Amino acid sequence: MKYAFFQGCNIPIRIQQYATSTEAVLGAFDVELVTIPEFNCCGYPVRNVDEKAYILPSVRNMAIAEKQGLSILVICNCCFSSLKKAQNTLQKDNTLLTELNGILAKEGLKYSGTVQIKHYLTVLHEDIGTEKIKTKLVNKFKDLNIAVLHGCHILRPREITNFDDSFVPRITEDLMQTAGATSLEWRGKLECCGAALAGINDELSHKLLQEKVSGAQDAGADYITPICSYCHLQFDTTQKNLVSQGSGGKILPVLLYPQLLGLCLDLPEEQLGIEENSTIKKDDIARIKSLLGPPVEEKKRRKKKAAA
Amino acid sequence: MTFNILLGLAIIVCLVGLFLRLSIWFTQGIRPPESPISAKQRITSALQGVLSTIFSAKIVLFLKSLIVDLLFQKRIFDKSSLRWAAHSLIFVGFILLFFMHALDSVITESFFADYQSTLNPYLFLRNAFGLMVLAGLGIAVFRRISLKPQRLKTYPSDWAAIIFIAVIMLSGMLLEGSKISSYTTYQGMLEEYGAFDEEEEKALEAYWVEEMGIISPHMQSPLDSEAVAMGQEINADSCMECHSSNKAAFASFAMAKVSRPFSAILGDSTTVSLFWFLHIVACLAFLAWLPFSKMFHIIAAPVSLLIKGTTDDLVESPANLLNVQMVGLSACTHCGSCSLECSSNMFFESFNNDFILPSEKVQYLKNFAAGKEIDPVVLKRLQEGLYVCTSCDRCTAICPSGINLKQLFITSRYALLSQGVPETAMLSHFSFPLALAQNFVDDHLKALKQVTELFRQSFKHLSDITSPMTLSNAAAVDNDTFKSCFSCQRCTNICPVVRSYENPIESLGMLPHQIMFSLGVGKLDLAMGSQMIWSCSTCYLCQEHCPNQVELTDIFYSLKNGAIQKIDAGAN
Repeated sequence: MKYAFFQGCNIPIRIQQYATSTEAVLGAFDVELVTIPEFNCCGYPVRNVDEKAYILPSVRNMAIAEKQGLSILVICNCCFSSLKKAQNTLQKDNTLLTELNGILAKEGLKYSGTVQIKHYLTVLHEDIGTEKIKTKLVNKFKDLNIAVLHGCHILRPREITNFDDSFVPRITEDLMQTAGATSLEWRGKLECCGAALAGINDELSHKLLQEKVSGAQDAGADYITPICSYCHLQFDTTQKNLVSQGSGGKILPVLLYPQLLGLCLDLPEEQLGIEENSTIKKDDIARIKSLLGPPVEEKKRRKKKAAA
Repeated sequence: MTFNILLGLAIIVCLVGLFLRLSIWFTQGIRPPESPISAKQRITSALQGVLSTIFSAKIVLFLKSLIVDLLFQKRIFDKSSLRWAAHSLIFVGFILLFFMHALDSVITESFFADYQSTLNPYLFLRNAFGLMVLAGLGIAVFRRISLKPQRLKTYPSDWAAIIFIAVIMLSGMLLEGSKISSYTTYQGMLEEYGAFDEEEEKALEAYWVEEMGIISPHMQSPLDSEAVAMGQEINADSCMECHSSNKAAFASFAMAKVSRPFSAILGDSTTVSLFWFLHIVACLAFLAWLPFSKMFHIIAAPVSLLIKGTTDDLVESPANLLNVQMVGLSACTHCGSCSLECSSNMFFESFNNDFILPSEKVQYLKNFAAGKEIDPVVLKRLQEGLYVCTSCDRCTAICPSGINLKQLFITSRYALLSQGVPETAMLSHFSFPLALAQNFVDDHLKALKQVTELFRQSFKHLSDITSPMTLSNAAAVDNDTFKSCFSCQRCTNICPVVRSYENPIESLGMLPHQIMFSLGVGKLDLAMGSQMIWSCSTCYLCQEHCPNQVELTDIFYSLKNGAIQKIDAGAN
């Protein structure tokens, strides 16, 4: 399998570890990610200002992928929903399609609608599948309590994103289970990290973030696993800024899913880049690694149970 | 004599220009600190910076940058081998011609005792270097034309630089070509160096007509092969020691075809003088023009690259921050590499604002740094261009001159915002990375207040209404799913933003279900003016939970779009 790797604007400059760890994990299952320097912003940042200006950038990105004959693999939720939204809008609006293709024609591009947009979790969960992942596990976690924060734009609106059940998502549950980690039930799981309000209404943005931090901590989370790059930055940068400015409370460290799975697959640590997460300390990493054990135990137990 | 006067003039203009451009490095700046820093202080800081680099372990970085960035031009190489080829061809060819040919009496003669401009390899190399430059210019022209659809902007001054260098090269080749075919020049050499009898002279002339390309009034090709053979022998015995075959000057030899018609009309010696004059004037005019043009990058770009190579964009002293800004601004060659890769390039297509492209911003910021009076309309567009930026930092990573564009743009953005013109783009997610980076926090909040205040004043609010509202037809909004709302308030009850306030109506103006209702009764203005739409976290919970498929979040987006449009229309 080969995909055009859509990293968006935040990941290449602020969260390289998300890209390298995803590349490493998918690489372990022979999924090749092609970096395309011509990709531009997905359009998300301008959505408050102008809807058409929001759609156009994604159409260009999809046209570039189509020209290269590749489907797009996305990490960031907001990029994902922008691409999906553009696809959905143009499916219904031929006039807009013609208008935007007119702009793209200047540089020899054309969007026809054949490109597929996939979130990397869908590739892991459906295209590769948890069974296949299990066959490659070198380690598995035990007693690792994770609060998953889906991020809004991957789940909703469900008619656009088509990612998972937007009320009871299963994909992250299954994937966490595959790695042996416990995905906690907690009250912020499907809610907003506050990123969309950052710089516009910081007070509210921080409030929403802190509500998630304490919610996850109250549920007994050791780490938070945000799926979206915006959520990641809220937890890994803004949370840290707030604590250093004396907001009080304990830092809830961030561990990304490909980093967590990468440890189970015994992938090189420099590719996983866990140390690059600014909220995680050396002790945390040592602790996480100490929770790893051989993946066979569970099977043995099961066999014993069956025998009994 | 004329030459010396022209040369003197050109050097004076060039020196004055250099002084002016260099003094800008230490006198201008974007957003200088409140307490002014004098030019003297800035020069001292710069010197301190240079010395502390040279006399420390950083010298290794300095030398590395000198080789990798300056001589090899790695930053261009990494991005485009074609562009690297173009720049290297021009750079190497031009520099070698400058030292080997223009300064031959100073440089070449002191290195090579046997130097004669008419001898190989010098004769051949001069042509090879000239052709290198022309090939590089050819690629540059191709690049500028072929990348135009990719938003590569070309100014007349960019073409001027290309044409200027091309004229220098071509006039040089024409000059040499006209000399090659000039009988007068040939006679001059014969008189100065030759001592032949009549038969020998004829044979030699036959050889030079046949093989060396001179146009003789006495004979024409094809000539008697015996005479040519004899001429060849004489040439080998008497001339070759100081004059290699004209064919070695391959480019000029070919150019002679172009210069010949001129000779036929004007006479050969007039033609030689004409092209000499053209070549000299082009070279000297270029020298005088250099400091006032983008060719100043010959000086500024290496400085900028060395600063980047040794500091990695971490400059602390406020004086040097300003110095680096100004070196950066003067190092821009308007090559457009930044705009080609700008992540905001499609916003440029939508908003039709050149300042969204980094190359256009950085060019214009020179005026801003100089404190020039700028038209308020232009200023407003510049402000928008500075704000419509995803902060992906690609421009800074790619700039072949190593300009810290990011720092220039952040500083200019807040310098402009602090002038008090409200910027509606602040209410977009372009603000997210700015909040993350925490630069200019107070300025950001102040500017934000201005734009939210503008909104407050521009729309009617529910709390302002005292008399009973008159109902009208449903508001015209693209997304009319609000018509299905039956005010069950599920949206409001699930909203994490509403939940965040003790007194939500007071803080948010209207609650989600109230906004849907007001659209239903035709109060679009009221809906657009509610603080709720700007406090919406866009989590889509309301939309997902609505039992009647009202697309609240999407409607909020179109209300925000509409409100900004209305404000911007009012401002312009």
